[in-house]
Amino acid sequence: MKSKRFEALAARPVNQDGYVQEWPEVGLIAMNSPFDPKPSIKIENGRIVEMDGKTRADFDMLDTFIADHAIRLGNAEKAMAMDSLDIARKIVDINVSRDEILDITLSVTPAKLTEIVGKLTIVEIMMGMTKMRARLMPANQCHVTNVKDNPVQIAADAAEAAVRGFAEMETTVGIARYAPFNAMALFVGAQAGRPGIMTQCALEEATELQLGMRGFTTYAETISVYGTEPVFMDGDDTPYSKAFLASCYASRGLKMRFTSGTGSEVQMGYAEGKSMLYLEARCLAVTKGAGVQGTQNGSVSCVGVPAGVPGGIRAIAAENLIAMLLDLESTTSNDQTFTHSDLRRVARSVPQLFSGTDYICSGYSATPNYDNMFAGSNWDADDYDDWNIIQRDMRIDGGLQPVKEEDVIKARNKAARALQGMFRELGLPPITDEEVEAATYARGSEDMPNRNVNEDLKAIEAMMARKVTGVDFVKALDKAGFPDVAQNIYNMLRQKVAGDYLHTASIFDKDFHVYSGVNAPNDYHGPMTGYQLSEERWEQIKNIPNAIRPEDI
Amino acid sequence: MDQEALMRQIVEQVMSAMNKGVSAPAAPAGGRMTAANYPLAEKEADKLKTPTGKPFGSLSYEKVLSGELTSDDMRIAPETLEYQAQVAESVNREAFAGNLRRAAELIAVPDERLLEIYNALRPYRSTKQELLDIAGELDGKYGAKTAAALVREAAEVYEKRDRLKKF
Amino acid sequence: MNFDEKMLRSVIEEVLKEMSSASAAPAAKAAPAASTLSAGEMSLTDSGEAARGVAPDEVVIGLAPAFGVYQHETIIHQPHSKVLREIIAGIEEEGMKWRLIRVYRTSDVSFIAHDAAEYSGSGIGIGIQSKGTTVIHQKDLPPLSNLELFSQAPLIEMDTFRQIGKNAAKYAKGEAPTPVTVRNDQMARPTYQAIAALLHIKETEHCDRDKKPQAVTVSFK
Repeated sequence: MKSKRFEALAARPVNQDGYVQEWPEVGLIAMNSPFDPKPSIKIENGRIVEMDGKTRADFDMLDTFIADHAIRLGNAEKAMAMDSLDIARKIVDINVSRDEILDITLSVTPAKLTEIVGKLTIVEIMMGMTKMRARLMPANQCHVTNVKDNPVQIAADAAEAAVRGFAEMETTVGIARYAPFNAMALFVGAQAGRPGIMTQCALEEATELQLGMRGFTTYAETISVYGTEPVFMDGDDTPYSKAFLASCYASRGLKMRFTSGTGSEVQMGYAEGKSMLYLEARCLAVTKGAGVQGTQNGSVSCVGVPAGVPGGIRAIAAENLIAMLLDLESTTSNDQTFTHSDLRRVARSVPQLFSGTDYICSGYSATPNYDNMFAGSNWDADDYDDWNIIQRDMRIDGGLQPVKEEDVIKARNKAARALQGMFRELGLPPITDEEVEAATYARGSEDMPNRNVNEDLKAIEAMMARKVTGVDFVKALDKAGFPDVAQNIYNMLRQKVAGDYLHTASIFDKDFHVYSGVNAPNDYHGPMTGYQLSEERWEQIKNIPNAIRPEDI
Repeated sequence: MDQEALMRQIVEQVMSAMNKGVSAPAAPAGGRMTAANYPLAEKEADKLKTPTGKPFGSLSYEKVLSGELTSDDMRIAPETLEYQAQVAESVNREAFAGNLRRAAELIAVPDERLLEIYNALRPYRSTKQELLDIAGELDGKYGAKTAAALVREAAEVYEKRDRLKKF
Repeated sequence: MNFDEKMLRSVIEEVLKEMSSASAAPAAKAAPAASTLSAGEMSLTDSGEAARGVAPDEVVIGLAPAFGVYQHETIIHQPHSKVLREIIAGIEEEGMKWRLIRVYRTSDVSFIAHDAAEYSGSGIGIGIQSKGTTVIHQKDLPPLSNLELFSQAPLIEMDTFRQIGKNAAKYAKGEAPTPVTVRNDQMARPTYQAIAALLHIKETEHCDRDKKPQAVTVSFK
């Protein structure tokens, strides 16, 4: 006889997910692996000659780069000699300031960082996040994509996401050659929705830089680093090429962050028998050594790997904390589907959402997941009200706010019309009134008419050949009768001249004031310190349209 | 909807609270930039220029429309990146400051060439001599000393780790 | 990179109960570079270093190290022999020629496709991994870019493989085909990612960084 209860359990979404047993020898282990190196450091003549159990002669490329660039030598021997448990306790001690922690953690090796966070429970990791993230107030980022690469829909979805509160937006492509349209649609849509939102387009590294140089994007994030040398090579880069690339971006006034995450090395076949978290600590050290201001980490697209092994979701939170311990802007994933279970996906986001990070999601899908071209996010457009009500339930700021339908429709329509006008002025394939109408009211690409893909791709090739830049967007939008959107694009381009937003954990408000770890540093040191919800912000968060008002009864 | 105004209000409160404690010194004329001068676009606009020599304060929307400003003007200048590097150092972000200084050197390198050099630094793309030639070019032609040093370092490491061009 | 073959297999079996790779695996260790390995309905033979093509009417198909030799089906159990047949049929339908190479230096599908494109007289190549991930590439694009990418292996069905062959042939002819309709399933990751990782580890085991692409002959039974 089969148990009816077990039959019901077997049918639950959670049992459709894939799980694997730990297998430390090949790196299928989230953290605390018996094969992780023991922390060590030896410095001679101002140079690290031994790190984490390896002598310089045995260093691979990552070790060499980390030893030469990533660790503050002045305090290193002292910090390395401290008991990891003591350091872990300082992290959760409200009487030890963020700066005091950084003095220690910026001077230690990847194995030490791994050992320190390995002493923390998930709740202690969250306490660490609350104190250690760089910016005072949390924010949120979204994905804006669709399976048809329809630019009108991208513009409309971006505008809606702007109204809902996202500070950053990311797009990518189904068809790589569509990238310039996706990037410009996102730029225009975001600026039509709320001035000052930063936008990016995730692409192959050199192509992504090119779009930034042309003024199609204002920052970049898909600059991947990996924790073992062979995987780094398969990613077609080295720590040196990536460090150079980081400077290329800054030389054009473009903000950028690196990306890494637990599980990528296992996913790509070369984990060298180390835990996912140790390899991620190496990635973060490379990021620090390259002089990059921040990171997107938290397993990201490889989330299925750590999520499949015991303690994997804790490890993801731990890797976010390591990024913060290295004083990096923390853009904390929560951006990829990893489970069929709604319970699991909420639990996975609790550490970052409840603690607050620089960007809680990176990103939240601003479309229904069927249109999410990062293969689905942990949160999508159909979850907007759930997110808002969780904020309201917990009295937390997850970066979003409830909105009115008429405001959203207005913003979507304006963005679609602005893009229509800009396409017309730039001589690109026309956007019809029917498309504008569809984008205004669409839930996703199933509601959008098809475009002539070939005609679009040809027009893109021609547009790129005639060197259209962001400045041309400004002129075209002005001519098309959208001077306010044009002004916003102009203001974003102007910010690249000043470079204030290159700094750690920057965001802009609607007046193009920048807030970053420089002028809005996190100063949490216990209850009633750090970021506190203002009354005004709380009003915004709690006033959902469907709450019954006692006075109406 | 106005989360931004709110943020500004909070930041101002925090900043003013901080300033009451240890008041950050304003940058002395000709001195180093610190967090107190940040954001430079608001507080030090008169010190910023485009790489084409136009004062930051003279940039305007109207001039973009008229064609007086082009995309060549809407770029960051080496001096500005140096100021931002100083700001970064004032908040103990010396690695980031180093990146900004390396970036300042690369402003002079044209887009196309910069992309080529980046691609040449990717694994298995270049011989050691090709990398050393690039370092020589960065150093000699553009005065990009730290960027050149990074490329030379890469050449050594790639040789040791067998990541130079194979076939 | 020397993983314990037996242990690896046991884990794969645990996850992928119905996966039928058992018969092929014992041959793995013994297989010399240029031997013929029978793989069900297809045999693939390395025949020396691949030549760079000059014929403008060819599309080169680049196989990942384990394709059809150490692994025999995609992540959704499509037999490699059928997959290859469909791609070839697609190319032939467009009146173009095809040639196979096997790439050893990497198991990354973008590089495999890019190598294939570089060896192709038309400059168009297709790269395919054992788990089914496929890319259409052009030689003058950056390696990690592509003309068309089919990144979600669990969504690639037989008709898609034929369509991939057809489109690659059209690019080779200088046409601008409408890209194969992109598919997306956000639940592919939770279901398949851990399995994909294991399959990729198994593919990567057979890489040889110093080995140039090899010409491959195929006979279908």
